[in-house]
Amino acid sequence: MTDLRDGPMRAPLPRRRLLAGAAALPFLPRPALAQAKRGGRLTVAADSEPPNLNPAIIASNGVFFVASKVIEPLAEADYRAKDGLAPRLATAWEGAADGRSLTFTLRQGVTWHDAKPFSSADVAFSALEVWKKHGNLGRAVFRELEAVETPDAHTAIFRFAVPTPAQLIRNALPALTAVVPKHLYEGTDIMRNPANQKLVGTGPFRFAEWRPGEYTRLVRNPTYWDQARPFLNEIVYRVLPDRAAAANALEAEEIQLAAFSAVPLADLDRIAKVPGMKVYSNGYEGLTYQLVVEINHRRKELSDVRVRRAIAHAIDRDFVVRAIFRGFAATSQGPVPKNDRVFHATDVAGYGFNPQRANALLDEAGYPRSEGGIRFRLRLLPAPFFNETRQFGDYLRQALAAVGIDATIVSNDTPAHLRAVYTDRAFDITVASPVYRGDPAISTTILFQSGLPAGVPFANQYGYENPEVDALIKQAAATIDDAERVRLYNAFQKQVTDDVALVNVAEFSFITVARDNVLNVSNNPRWAVSNWADTGFAV
Amino acid sequence: MLAILLAVALAAPILAPGDPLAIKGDPLLPPWQTMAHPLGTDRLGRDVLSALIHGARTTLLVATAAAAAALFIGITVGTIAGFLGGWVDEALMRVAEAFQTVPAFLLTLALISVTGPRVPTIVLGIAIGAWMQPARITRAEILSLRERDFVAAARVIGMRPLEIAFREVLPNALTPVVSLAAVIVAAAVLIEAALSFLGFGDPNRFTWGSMIAEGRTVLRRAPFLSIIPGIGLVLTVLAVHLTGQGVAKALRTRRHAA
Repeated sequence: MTDLRDGPMRAPLPRRRLLAGAAALPFLPRPALAQAKRGGRLTVAADSEPPNLNPAIIASNGVFFVASKVIEPLAEADYRAKDGLAPRLATAWEGAADGRSLTFTLRQGVTWHDAKPFSSADVAFSALEVWKKHGNLGRAVFRELEAVETPDAHTAIFRFAVPTPAQLIRNALPALTAVVPKHLYEGTDIMRNPANQKLVGTGPFRFAEWRPGEYTRLVRNPTYWDQARPFLNEIVYRVLPDRAAAANALEAEEIQLAAFSAVPLADLDRIAKVPGMKVYSNGYEGLTYQLVVEINHRRKELSDVRVRRAIAHAIDRDFVVRAIFRGFAATSQGPVPKNDRVFHATDVAGYGFNPQRANALLDEAGYPRSEGGIRFRLRLLPAPFFNETRQFGDYLRQALAAVGIDATIVSNDTPAHLRAVYTDRAFDITVASPVYRGDPAISTTILFQSGLPAGVPFANQYGYENPEVDALIKQAAATIDDAERVRLYNAFQKQVTDDVALVNVAEFSFITVARDNVLNVSNNPRWAVSNWADTGFAV
Repeated sequence: MLAILLAVALAAPILAPGDPLAIKGDPLLPPWQTMAHPLGTDRLGRDVLSALIHGARTTLLVATAAAAAALFIGITVGTIAGFLGGWVDEALMRVAEAFQTVPAFLLTLALISVTGPRVPTIVLGIAIGAWMQPARITRAEILSLRERDFVAAARVIGMRPLEIAFREVLPNALTPVVSLAAVIVAAAVLIEAALSFLGFGDPNRFTWGSMIAEGRTVLRRAPFLSIIPGIGLVLTVLAVHLTGQGVAKALRTRRHAA
C-alpha cells in the first residue's frame, strides 16, 4: 500500500526530513508567527486524567499536557534560541566554572494565580523541598543540590555538593523545574497537598475545574506576566479514552485538536484528506520515545551476549517502522536518539535484520533446534502503554519464532505489568517504551546502571551489570566540561550496544492533528507539553 | 451449519497450515485482491482467512469446554441439592443464588483479571458464570423424580443415596438440561468474544473477539478486519441456537411419544 509518503498531502509533513535525516537537520524552519485573535475556547482530546497533576513531582507527559499551561518551568525548549531554551520564569542562567553553582536571574513582575507575588523563595523551596525530595526524575538530577541562596527576590543561586554539569541542568530545565508556590506547600504534606490537584501556578492559564470522566477546564490568566498573551480564553480537555473517538470528534468539530497521536496512525492518511484538517508530525523532539526490547540477563540463555545479538539480528526494524508505525518513526540502534545531535553516537555496533546470522549465533551459543524447531522458550511481556508496543509484541513473537525461539506472550494491564517487570522481575523479555529527555543523564543512563533496588520503574531491573558502563555513567555525571561529557556518553553508547544490554528498535514520537484555524501549533520541541500562550484561532 | 463450522475448526491445520500468527504479506491488504490472501491481511500482514479459521477453533474450543464444565458443575450441584434436600439443598441453592445476583460477565472478568488470561482460566471463568441455571433445572427435575416408585425400590434393595441420585434419578432428569447446553454454548461464544475484545483473551492465539478489537482501531480504513470475524460470530451463535432448538424439539416429541 502507499502510505503518506507518496500520497497527496494537504498538510505539510516534514516527517521525512525530520526522521530520516535528523542528523542533517539543524532546526525546523520556524513558521512565521501567525497572528491569532484573542478569545475562543480550544477543546482538545485527553485520554487520561492523572489524579496528581503536580508537574514538579511527576514529570510525565500525561501530567504536563494539562499542568504545563498552569505551572511554568524556569525555561522551555525552543527550536531557535541559544542552548535550545527560551526563558520562562528565569530570564538568564550562568554556571560557575567549577560546576559547583548555577545562578538564575528570575523574571520580575510575576504573580501567582492567587495574587501573591512570585519570588526567588518559591524557586528555592521548589528545588530543595519538591524537585529534590519528591520529583520522580528530579530526585536523580538534583541529588547533589545542597542549598539555594536567594540574595534578592529575583536571584537564585543553586549550590551543588559535587561539580555538576551545567549542560545537564540546562537540558533538565524544561521538564524538571516546574515552580510551585511556597506559600501553599510550606509545612504541608507535599504529596497530599490539595494544590497537587487544584493547581496554582504562574502560567498563562488558571485551573478552573475538573470533572472526572468528562473534562478538565483551564481559563485565561488575565494577570499573566506577558500581557499580550495568552490568546485563548479557555482550554477544555475532553476525556476521550477511545482512540477511534478522537478522529470522529475532530471531524465533527467537537474538538479542535488531538495531540499525542490520539488519532490512530492508520487513520491519518484518511483524516489528512479531510478539508480543514492539518497534520503536524513535529513538536515532540524534546520527548522522543524509544521502542526497546528489555532482556532479563538473569535468564541463563539470555546472559550469553551471542543470544542477545541473535535477538537483535532477528528484528526487521524497517518492517516495524513501516507496518507498525506507518512510517512515523525512525529505526534505532542505540540508546540516544538520532534527533539529539549533540549526544547521538553514530559509530555504535549495528544489528541489521539478518535471520541467518541470528540462527548461526544461536547454534554457536549451544542452543540447537530441537523437536519442532524450537531452541528454547521465553516469556514475552509487551508493555500495554501504546497500541504500538502491543503490536510490536505480536511482531516480536513471530520474529523470534523464525529463529527458533518460542516466545509466549503474557499480557497484563499497566499496574500488573509494572509490578511484574520492575518489582518482581518475572519476565524473560519485554517490550518497553522509555523516554529520552534531551540528556542521557535524565532518564536514559538509569536503564543501564546496575545496583538499583527492585521497584524503581523504567530502570535497569533486568540484571545488566558492566562495571565499565557503571564507571562511565559515574564519571560522566561528575564531568562539567561539555565536550568531555559528549565523549564519555559516546563511549557509553558504544559499550551498551556492544553488550546488547537491551535492543533498541525504533524511535517514535507523536502526531498532532488540528483544525486548520488553530494557529501556532507545534512551534517548539515540546509543544504539546508547553504553555500554549501563543496558540489561538485565526482571525 | 454447525457441522460445517466444526469441520472447519477441526481441520484448521489442514485448511490453513502453518502458524496463523505468521506474517505473510503486506499489512492491510483488502480482501479479494490476491489468491494468497483471499480475505486480506491485518495490521501486521497476517492472513485474515487463516486467522478466521484458527479463531473458530479457539472460539469453539473455549465455548464447548466452558459449557461442558458449566453443565458438569451445575448437574452435580443440582442433583445433590435436589436429592438430598434439607440443609444441603438450602446451602447449595443459596450459593447458586448468590452467584446469580452477579452478572455472569462481571464474574468472569473479575476472575480473569486476577488469574491472567489463559485458555483454562477463561474456560473456568465462563463456567463459573454459567453453572447456576443447569443446577436449578436439574434440582427441579430431581425433586419431581425422587418421590417416584423406582427410587423407593432402589432404596429397598440397599443402594446408597448418592448412588441412587446419580445412577437412577439423574439419567431421567437429563433431557431438559441437555437442551440448555446450546444456550450456554452460544452465551459462552459471546462472552469469550467480549473478553478477547476487551483484551482479556489469550494473546498467543487468534480469537474472533481479539480480531474485532484489533480491527476497531482501523475501522474507518479497513472495516473488513472487524466485519469478517463479526459475521463469523453471528453465524456461529445462530447455528448453535438453531441446533439447540432442533435438539430440544426432537427431545420433546420423543418424550411425548414415550
